[in-house]
Amino acid sequence: MSTMQKSETGPGGSPPVAKPEARGPGILTNIAWTVVPYVASVVLAFFLGGLLIQLMGYNAVDALRAVLTSSFDTSFGMVETLHKWVPIVLCAYAFAIPLATGKFNIGAEGQMLLGATGGAAVGITFSDLPMVVLLPATLVAGVLAGALWAGIAALLLVRFRVNEILSTVLLNFVSFKLIDWVATRVWPDAGAGHPATTPVGDGARLPLLGSAPAMHSGVLLVLALAIFIAVAMRFTPTGFEMRAVGDNLRASMVNGVRTSRLAGAGLVIGGGLGGLAGAIDVAGVHGRMLEGMQSNFLILGIIVGLMARGSMLALPVVAFGIAVLEYGAGTMQLVSAVPVEMVLVIEALILLLLLLSDLVRDRLRSAR
Amino acid sequence: MTATPRLAMTDVVKTFGPVRALDTVSLEVGANEVHGLLGGNGAGKTTLMNVLFGLYKADSGTVLIDGKAAVINSPKDAIALGVGMVHQTFLQVDTYTVTENIVLGTALEGGSHSNGLRAARERIVELSERFGLEVDPDAVVEDLPVGVRQRVEILKALFRGAQVLILDEPTTNLTPQEVDALFASLRAMVKEGMSIILITHKIRETLAVCDKMTVMRDGARVQTLDRAETDAEHLAAVMVGESHGSYETAAPSTAVALGATAEGATHKQVVHGDFAPAIRIESVTVRNDHGVDLIHGFDLTVGEGEIVGFAGVAGNGQVELAEALTGVRPLLSGSITVQGTDLTRAQTSHWLSAGVAYVPEDRHRDGILPKAGITENLILGSHRGRSARRAGLIDWKAARERASVAIDKFSIRANSPATRAGDLSGGNIQRVILARAFAHEPRLLILHNPTRGLDIGSTRFVYEQIREAADSGCAIVVISEDLDEVIAISDRVIALYQGGQAGEWPSTEVDPYEVGRRMTGLSTSRTGGAA
Repeated sequence: MSTMQKSETGPGGSPPVAKPEARGPGILTNIAWTVVPYVASVVLAFFLGGLLIQLMGYNAVDALRAVLTSSFDTSFGMVETLHKWVPIVLCAYAFAIPLATGKFNIGAEGQMLLGATGGAAVGITFSDLPMVVLLPATLVAGVLAGALWAGIAALLLVRFRVNEILSTVLLNFVSFKLIDWVATRVWPDAGAGHPATTPVGDGARLPLLGSAPAMHSGVLLVLALAIFIAVAMRFTPTGFEMRAVGDNLRASMVNGVRTSRLAGAGLVIGGGLGGLAGAIDVAGVHGRMLEGMQSNFLILGIIVGLMARGSMLALPVVAFGIAVLEYGAGTMQLVSAVPVEMVLVIEALILLLLLLSDLVRDRLRSAR
Repeated sequence: MTATPRLAMTDVVKTFGPVRALDTVSLEVGANEVHGLLGGNGAGKTTLMNVLFGLYKADSGTVLIDGKAAVINSPKDAIALGVGMVHQTFLQVDTYTVTENIVLGTALEGGSHSNGLRAARERIVELSERFGLEVDPDAVVEDLPVGVRQRVEILKALFRGAQVLILDEPTTNLTPQEVDALFASLRAMVKEGMSIILITHKIRETLAVCDKMTVMRDGARVQTLDRAETDAEHLAAVMVGESHGSYETAAPSTAVALGATAEGATHKQVVHGDFAPAIRIESVTVRNDHGVDLIHGFDLTVGEGEIVGFAGVAGNGQVELAEALTGVRPLLSGSITVQGTDLTRAQTSHWLSAGVAYVPEDRHRDGILPKAGITENLILGSHRGRSARRAGLIDWKAARERASVAIDKFSIRANSPATRAGDLSGGNIQRVILARAFAHEPRLLILHNPTRGLDIGSTRFVYEQIREAADSGCAIVVISEDLDEVIAISDRVIALYQGGQAGEWPSTEVDPYEVGRRMTGLSTSRTGGAA
């Protein structure tokens, strides 16, 4: 086939006059077009994942039930799930906010580790200070450290047009060496049996809420932050500009948006949020900085960021769903011996099917 | 002409949706012939050649090559039949050498890759010497200037055995010396029996190199002429529209449909010089995307309430001029002052707040946020303004209300202010862009091809809006490839040719033929109009 019809400018620059008029779907139809693909993708991904588990010789029903329900069975499960949700949602913002401006931040784990280091440095050095001073200082230090780390990539991008994907990925590797040095040389905890720093001061710990399964208050902090981000992206001029740049960079530039500066700002903000993830895990979960605490939050953040498709409202919800699966993975391994990685397979399937659903939806819509 | 022409295209029809891009066009090109294909933008020149090269599939019509029916469904078929095409933008691998670029996609002979490459290199050297296409076969393409890269494209076609070579506006970014060299090579090629089709809008070049020329207009062939039986004046007249009878009775043109004659008359009694200067442009130099200083030492003054129209064929600096006047493209030198404010080095956003509004030519690329609603699109550019915000935050409720008003006022056909701009038709997108421009309460309004592709109703609407803005004191620059439009709307008409002003007339003294001659690069001015 060779009919390469340019969609808008048409032959020699004279555009086709009549285009199909905008159809008039009601709000409900619009929502249905958005929600149905999500639901269908999730259901189909679980079906395929279950098939795979069955083929591997395990009981798929038991395994999937463990994945889906263990977060909700016990209050301990819920608290653990929320503790996982915090770094996942923050790493997802670290990816999604720069993405809104069209830039790919693949450095959330480096930014998280730097944030953890920054937080731990303050928490250890000033361990005698009271909580009112030390806790905010610890968290702010984490944000700044993450922002500075991403700031290197932002500077390289804006000044020298260095591709941000490359720089953020490479900075991850630098961060591994850096925290290794901090955990083994600067503030090593000899008794930990694993490269880790000494504990931060009590004043640097996030207050716990509830008893027995106690939840750290960072969860509430991030919840408030999620609301703030959704509002800021919608109502502040800068948030609007970010979305505009992501939608059409040329049109934004023509209409006075300073696009390169915005791209740098997006990376720095994303880095700050990645850093906060590290500082909260130090102050709320581990009480110290330890190697490996970045887990697979980078990849989960990217998955969540892509699934949310630029919606800052959907992002925390999607992140919660992923946190449920991640917590359930451990239970699944205990209950039915299916390896935890199976859950990552399902998550990837959801994302792939969701991306595929765009094609299906467009076909269906144009066929109507 | 010989008994069987090298190429014969007969009654070719091509439609894009409701638009008839080619209306039963026929074209014959003989061997040993450089054939010029002339016409303004949207005349169908490139579309016709894309059909021949297999990029578009014609709805009907036949193509004969050397008297045999040719079925061309893809460029591959075209190349196999000896048809080659050099496009305006080159598809080359920057980091490969000239030889590697030329052989890319062909089957190398000679056993091994290096042997094949060596043999190919020898053939390239031989071809380039034979036709005077000077090029170093071992140079890496990214180090080469545009003129040489074009030679690489031509060699690519010759290497594949092209007997019919199509060149799409080949001289656009060439220096005069490069143009001379190119034409000498073309003559050398046709001498050996090749046929060359040269798509162009420059009359001088056509006359310099072509043996025959076919003029197209509005997707139809107007006339095929022999070089010997025509001259520049005649050719300009044919291009501008002599075939429609005398210019004044070109009945269905938008200018007349607009009913401009009566209304326009009152507007146009003001003479140039009656306007208080609103914008001053002094010796401005602007670089195009290919690194050429297309606009050089440009001076212009536009008065308050004055409409200045630039007529010209695309590629003569229109985009660069529009973007320089709106703060989108940086100036290499010179200065621009709007209402006493020097904006030469200012950010684009400062131009906007100084009252400069821009209606760009490429609506989709430069005009709208396709995934955002009409509300968002209308507020873009003024979203940092005080009126758009309440307590620092964007007041979306007020923005929606303003959008509803604009939808009514500009008759945008959409369900609600939330309708995505990308779902609107071309005419409605243009209305959104106009609504945004007028919402800025502009003091300088730049419009580039403001009515291209619009129906008569929308066109009339756009003209009314422009007039209204001018009456309220806004300085207006209309840049258009539609000569009728420029003449109908402007107080002052300027012909644009190769980035410079090739002539200027007050609206009362405009002779369309004269403008047509000037904007195609002819400087002779003959009083009395058509040849």
